[in-house]
Amino acid sequence: MKILVCVSHVPDTTTKIQFESDGSALNKTGVTFVINPYDEFGLSRAIGFKEEGKSVNITVLCVGGPEVEPTLRKALAIGADDAVRINTQANDPAYVAAQIASYAEGKEFDLIFTGKESIDYNGSTVPGMLAEHLLWPFVSFATKMDLQDEERAVLHREVDGGEEVVETSLPVVVSCQKGIAEWRIPNMRGIMAARKKPLAVVSPAEITPYFQTVRYNYPPPKGECVYFEPDQAGKLIETLAQKGLI
Amino acid sequence: MADQYISMDTLRYLLYQVHGLEQLLEKPRFQDFDKEAIDIYLNSVKSFSDEELFPYFREMDEKPVVYEDGKVIVHPQIQKIMQQSSEMGLIGGTFDYEQGGMQMPYTVLTAAYFIMDAANNHVPGYPGLTDGAAHLIVSFGEQELQEMFVPKMISGDWGGTMCLTEPQAGSSLSDISTTAYPQPDGRYKIKGQKIFISGGDTQFSENIVHLLLARVEGAPPGTKGVSLFVVPKNRPVPGGGLEPNDVTSVADFPKMGQRGYATVHLAFGDQDDCYGWLVGEENKGLGYMFQMMNGARIAVGRAGAAVATAAYYASLQYANERPQGRKLRSDGKKDPSEGQTLIINHPDVRRMLLLQKAIWEGSLSLVLQSAVLYDWETVSEGEEREQHRLLLELLTPVTKTYPSEMGRESVSNGLQVLGGYGFCSEFVLQQYYRDVRIMAIYEGTTGIQSLDLLGRKIPMKQGQALKLLAADMQATIKEAMAYDELKPYAQVLGEKMQLNQKVLEFLMPFAMKGDYERFLSDATVFMEFFGTILIAWQWLKMALKAKQGLLTGDKTYTPEFYESKIHTMKFYFKYEMPKTNALAQTLMDEEVLTIAREKELIG
Repeated sequence: MKILVCVSHVPDTTTKIQFESDGSALNKTGVTFVINPYDEFGLSRAIGFKEEGKSVNITVLCVGGPEVEPTLRKALAIGADDAVRINTQANDPAYVAAQIASYAEGKEFDLIFTGKESIDYNGSTVPGMLAEHLLWPFVSFATKMDLQDEERAVLHREVDGGEEVVETSLPVVVSCQKGIAEWRIPNMRGIMAARKKPLAVVSPAEITPYFQTVRYNYPPPKGECVYFEPDQAGKLIETLAQKGLI
Repeated sequence: MADQYISMDTLRYLLYQVHGLEQLLEKPRFQDFDKEAIDIYLNSVKSFSDEELFPYFREMDEKPVVYEDGKVIVHPQIQKIMQQSSEMGLIGGTFDYEQGGMQMPYTVLTAAYFIMDAANNHVPGYPGLTDGAAHLIVSFGEQELQEMFVPKMISGDWGGTMCLTEPQAGSSLSDISTTAYPQPDGRYKIKGQKIFISGGDTQFSENIVHLLLARVEGAPPGTKGVSLFVVPKNRPVPGGGLEPNDVTSVADFPKMGQRGYATVHLAFGDQDDCYGWLVGEENKGLGYMFQMMNGARIAVGRAGAAVATAAYYASLQYANERPQGRKLRSDGKKDPSEGQTLIINHPDVRRMLLLQKAIWEGSLSLVLQSAVLYDWETVSEGEEREQHRLLLELLTPVTKTYPSEMGRESVSNGLQVLGGYGFCSEFVLQQYYRDVRIMAIYEGTTGIQSLDLLGRKIPMKQGQALKLLAADMQATIKEAMAYDELKPYAQVLGEKMQLNQKVLEFLMPFAMKGDYERFLSDATVFMEFFGTILIAWQWLKMALKAKQGLLTGDKTYTPEFYESKIHTMKFYFKYEMPKTNALAQTLMDEEVLTIAREKELIG
């Protein structure tokens, strides 16, 4: 069985995000990057299939320049067998989906995992568009996945107010949500082994990016916090009234 | 509970920018490592600490180790941590490949343990001492001994300890009385008691392998008659399996801090059925044990720095959230109608926070300086190796002591930031304060370390180590002098080196004329004096790299990060360095007040 796990290279959640002064791009100075946590769920589930005794080869893929290679190395350290970097900048989700589809086409993957979204741009659109390019079924927000045999899988997915259980044929694109697997921490032997695993750099397909980001804006600053002493209830009411809140 | 307990950015900055870890990785021994692998590894240790250590920090204090029905019961999380520690390379990771290790640089292991210490200082001693004990066996034990014990220790199935202290022999190891009786089969029967054995027993360990100092029957008195033995709780039997080895846990010591870390009183051979295996040669045990003790001393310094780090972030978070008081107006009064300001805006709170920052970052830098020297000693040969060894010997007692003593001061300031809440159990600072207190006592008290520094390390090989250190410090000063902003501080460090020389010129004649008691009577004062200067050196190194980072536009870190390093260096020089003048004055005072005289004046 061949599994492709798509991973994004995203800023650590503890990073304070700053844009370049003209707002044109993220300022990457001092920013620590990690594997997108939702993608890591997919990787963990793929490794789980291996541990269940299934014959599985796991390829991790990232669209990006050389700066994303540490993220691929970490995925290899966690347990992927080989890695692929599509050597282009991940400009927009449609472009990224088209690049992944172009790479995956004809390589006989049985399953493609993505995260439910990346934690930087939060688009949630790549996996759906990827499935559309490949004309494969797509199951989103999966919280559980079991293989019935080499051709069918049962998935649980999060829906409003509960969960839905679906059965699908393979190949399939699955976007992963918390619950599908536990994150794994790479150990030292895995990290050392990762240095010897193959990491292929492939040229991007000739696809014109669909859109260009013009500018990023910060959210409006939060209002200053005003404290009232216990004996200032009147002043509190007066202030709320002035702001039209009561 | 605070959200943050460490700065990975500062840890990485110290490893790569200040202490040049990447140069070390070019050596053949470390060829399987690169920066990328080490970054992944340290991030993994951080994730491991976030999930398995930090959430249990308060709980281990509230539900401490207990002794029940002859068993030492530790927090259930310890079992999981021991297993995962093995997978993370935290036990045996630095050993040679042929010894079952991964030839990881000791500096990287030190950084990894620092993260864990900061997350939960009650825990790292369990895998840490197992690592140290296994290392002693692979360094000095016969092949048979290695095969019998080491694989199970590296796997985390068996724990390891160092057994030195006895009820009547604490700091004075020459007075130990545990006895080893030679047996015809080459083993020794062991009889005696050991106290304060960290990680000495748990309900989970299939076995605990004690590295124990004892005297072979009839051995010469003093340290020259001390031998080293492997004494397991359960001994392997021919054909496989284990049987009890007459090692009894008599008690666990309830403590004011580190209450999740077992501190056990062990009895060996009460039933005359305790066997040990000699490590190396008879009567050379103390020399062997110093390998583990030196590692443990650096580890204690590391833990002191780590607790101070975690306490800093807890107090910083509080200072950023707690509104209290108002800023002074230009007329010197406050406007009561104005909203309260956060306490981080008060200069005195800022002073306490900066002091904490100066101490923990300076301490961590010194710890990593020692770790890097250890690695350079490992990979170099001949004269170069000897130089690294001498320098490490000199720095070890300071690396143990400064973070322990000043780490306590740092945590105390963190507690003070919280005011009354700092004293309350609801807030974590009081726990850090109780935990950090042991560091000045572990592995040779501050008094012992100070005697070692002044009495042995400074004079050894005609002051060769001190000359090597002075050359390194001068190199930093010379480089810093090229930058106008750093020049005044570089000059101060140079002046303090001269002051150190003056102090030694005053003290050394006492030793030369045989008055050792006078020579060493203020060794602890000298330790404080010398340690304060060494940390200034570390801060100048940090500021130098920050200055260069700013000037070259290095985007690894933000300009604010670099500026913060330079600012904290200036703080250290302004608030800490003047102390050295007072300490030097005390050290060079002719009047002697602490040496016991015929007439007792303390009472």
